[in-house]
Amino acid sequence: MDPVRIRRPRFARSFTLALVSAATAATPMAHADEAQLRAEIAELRAQIAEMKAQMKTIVEQGKASPRAPTAAATTAPAELATRIEKLEETVAKETARGSDTTLTSYGEIALSRPRYDANETQADLVRAVIGFGHRFDDKTRVYGEFEWEHAVTSADDHGETAVEQLYVERKLTDHFGARAGLMLIPLGLLNESHEPTAYYGVFRNFVETAIIPTTWREGGLAVYGNTDAGISWNVGVTTGFDLSKWDPTSDEGRESPLGSIHQELQLARARNLSFYAAANYQGVPGLTVGGGVFTGKAGQGATDFAAPNARVTLWEGHARWQTGPFDLQALYARGTITDTEALNLTFVGDPTPVPKSFWGAYMQGAWQAWSKGDYALTPFARYERLNTASSYAPVPEGLGVPASPTEAVWTIGANFNLGPNVVFKTDYQKFKVDSSRDRFDLGMGYAF
Amino acid sequence: MERRRLFANGAPCALAALISLGPVFADEGRSGDPTPVNLGAQIFADPGLSASGDLACATCHDPANAHAQSNDLPVQLGGANRDVPGFRAVPSLRYVSFTPKFAFDDEGTPSGGFDRDGRANDLMAQAIRPLFSAHEMANESIEALVSRLAGARYAGDFRAVFGQRVFEDHDATLRALLFALAQYQKSDPDFQPFDSKYDEFLRGSLRLSPAELRGLALFNRADKGNCAACHPSGRDPNGELPLFTDFSYDNLGVPRNPRIAATQAAGYLDLGLCGPDRTDLADQRNLCGAFKVPTLRNVATRRVFFHNGRFTTLRDALRFYVRRDTDAAAFYPLAADGTVQKFDDLPAELAGNVNTAEVPYDRKPGEAPRLFEDEIADLEAFLNTLTDGYRLPSNLRK
Repeated sequence: MDPVRIRRPRFARSFTLALVSAATAATPMAHADEAQLRAEIAELRAQIAEMKAQMKTIVEQGKASPRAPTAAATTAPAELATRIEKLEETVAKETARGSDTTLTSYGEIALSRPRYDANETQADLVRAVIGFGHRFDDKTRVYGEFEWEHAVTSADDHGETAVEQLYVERKLTDHFGARAGLMLIPLGLLNESHEPTAYYGVFRNFVETAIIPTTWREGGLAVYGNTDAGISWNVGVTTGFDLSKWDPTSDEGRESPLGSIHQELQLARARNLSFYAAANYQGVPGLTVGGGVFTGKAGQGATDFAAPNARVTLWEGHARWQTGPFDLQALYARGTITDTEALNLTFVGDPTPVPKSFWGAYMQGAWQAWSKGDYALTPFARYERLNTASSYAPVPEGLGVPASPTEAVWTIGANFNLGPNVVFKTDYQKFKVDSSRDRFDLGMGYAF
Repeated sequence: MERRRLFANGAPCALAALISLGPVFADEGRSGDPTPVNLGAQIFADPGLSASGDLACATCHDPANAHAQSNDLPVQLGGANRDVPGFRAVPSLRYVSFTPKFAFDDEGTPSGGFDRDGRANDLMAQAIRPLFSAHEMANESIEALVSRLAGARYAGDFRAVFGQRVFEDHDATLRALLFALAQYQKSDPDFQPFDSKYDEFLRGSLRLSPAELRGLALFNRADKGNCAACHPSGRDPNGELPLFTDFSYDNLGVPRNPRIAATQAAGYLDLGLCGPDRTDLADQRNLCGAFKVPTLRNVATRRVFFHNGRFTTLRDALRFYVRRDTDAAAFYPLAADGTVQKFDDLPAELAGNVNTAEVPYDRKPGEAPRLFEDEIADLEAFLNTLTDGYRLPSNLRK
């Protein structure tokens, strides 16, 4: 098992690939050498077996007719065992060298048709991502992931490009490691496992995009580990949010409070560092129970700023149970931003002041109803409730804006898999508060 | 009455060409002090550079009044005898150096540029007109200006900075003068102090009074004043303090001002972007009547308002914004038949250019204005916080 984290499919996948499929990733020369070594080991093992059989025969004969055993008969198996051991070490080294570099990728395309306004139907290449991993040695590796969103990126287009992850990792012991660079924050079920094959529905769920700003990454240092009891943990010190970026005139802060002030290590203001801690228990097969917290000041030393001591804190708890054809998930996340009163006074009259609190929760159930060969059909249903501005710091009467209503969203649909790496999806989403957002979605995605 | 030509020597193109800068001058004779900035300060305050001998930049752009006019005349008097009236009210030069170049965006919307019609692209180009305009400093020629400059008490400093033989090349001397003026306006903190009460509020040093806060809310609210739509009140995306203008252009249908002498001629029309001062956009009739959105910093110190100085109090200017369409008779003259001659400073065929779609201009006769009188008072209280030179109480200083 990957000692880093249990619930991290892409990394786990690439790591497993590195170990298991070394022959396919290696160069042709390495491939030939390794096959030769394996053949030699097999031959030696056969010789040992044969010699053991011969010794057994000799011993039995000796019992029947006692006499001193021959030197050859007693030393030959030991020598062979030593040779085998050395050859196995050589094979292990060749295996590691053969999987130094791996390539990963995922992408998704979606079509969305609003129920009450078909003219707004939109198709989009939501994202295309290419990643790489390179193992410098059996303990140290680098991983990077590069993303294009919305197909075309230029000054006149809506797309964007981003480095989503770029970090170096060192395995210090079998149960303990460290990481430095641009990393995904290990909160929630989706942030680290955000590939289209890893979640149900055409689009990522609202709670883990509006409240937990998937894909949420920060630059920093992390240490992680796991225990034999099935507990994995991860703590880190990272860059954080920049509240001076808050735009009270736009809707961004209402769509995702933290998404509007994240920095993504883009010339990030780093006067104030943030801290996180997360843990998961996976001691029972199929069960994951975990949670985490992230906290840090968001004033970032901005001079002459009205909220120099504002602090962003986000915590969440989650559970997932995969048993038989069923996959059940639940998550609750809540965020707070403190010391916003003076800042919000400067925003009076604007539509989007900084919220004091925001939260979201969902439950989801999926059932693999049918499978044949590589094909699998998995209907699912998800119910979400979220509020991106559930409260504000007090301002003088008449100058504030009311807290947002809590939105509730039903998503019902199905994933149709072509093996583990390709998925086609469809769903229908119904909004309780803003029914104009009700929509039908179609999508496809892949990941490897 | 025919509008006077802006340049006494009739050679604006030649003057404009002067600012296509080469190197200003070699460092011959330059010392560490004086500097271009210091020279710019002296030039700015020197009335001796005008034909009349008593009109400096600072006369109309009074540093004691936020670098704007300190009287309530709609236009100022210039020329050799200080008796030639101008055509537009004096804009403040505070924060003017932040002005971007004039440009059209992808949708054809103009923004930026200096002067009320954006025709000058930088501070150096902007300074040419008042030096030579017949209704302003009225220098007869470049040579006349250079002669006056060479006789100034700071001429030695000018040589020290720009070269001992600077006055031998008249064009180069003008470039140097414009350069010094521009450097002064860019560098001197007096032009961009960012020390209003509102700045201190944004810095978190103090809180506004209840009336001021209510006024800020009305200023920002898209359904009330909606002022921030053109005069942004929040920090920009880089976290910089607001300039209270987006440098866009708008046509507000400001009433004609009979106090401007030129308006005595029925055919006289000041159409902003499409002329008569600006000539390159004359054919874009949809832009006629649009003037650049000014900064509202120090607006409470203005003695006149809008491009033609039509209003002389801030309260009246605010009332015009919100009652123009609900009580037009209060602002426009009546025709012989008793009908209101709305938008009387525009030809009838261009009346459609006036902004009647956005808040607060979207009202109809009989409807309530977007702001009531008590709200206008609150808004004015807020606008008073935009005046530079606020002294933070000692107990609040960091």
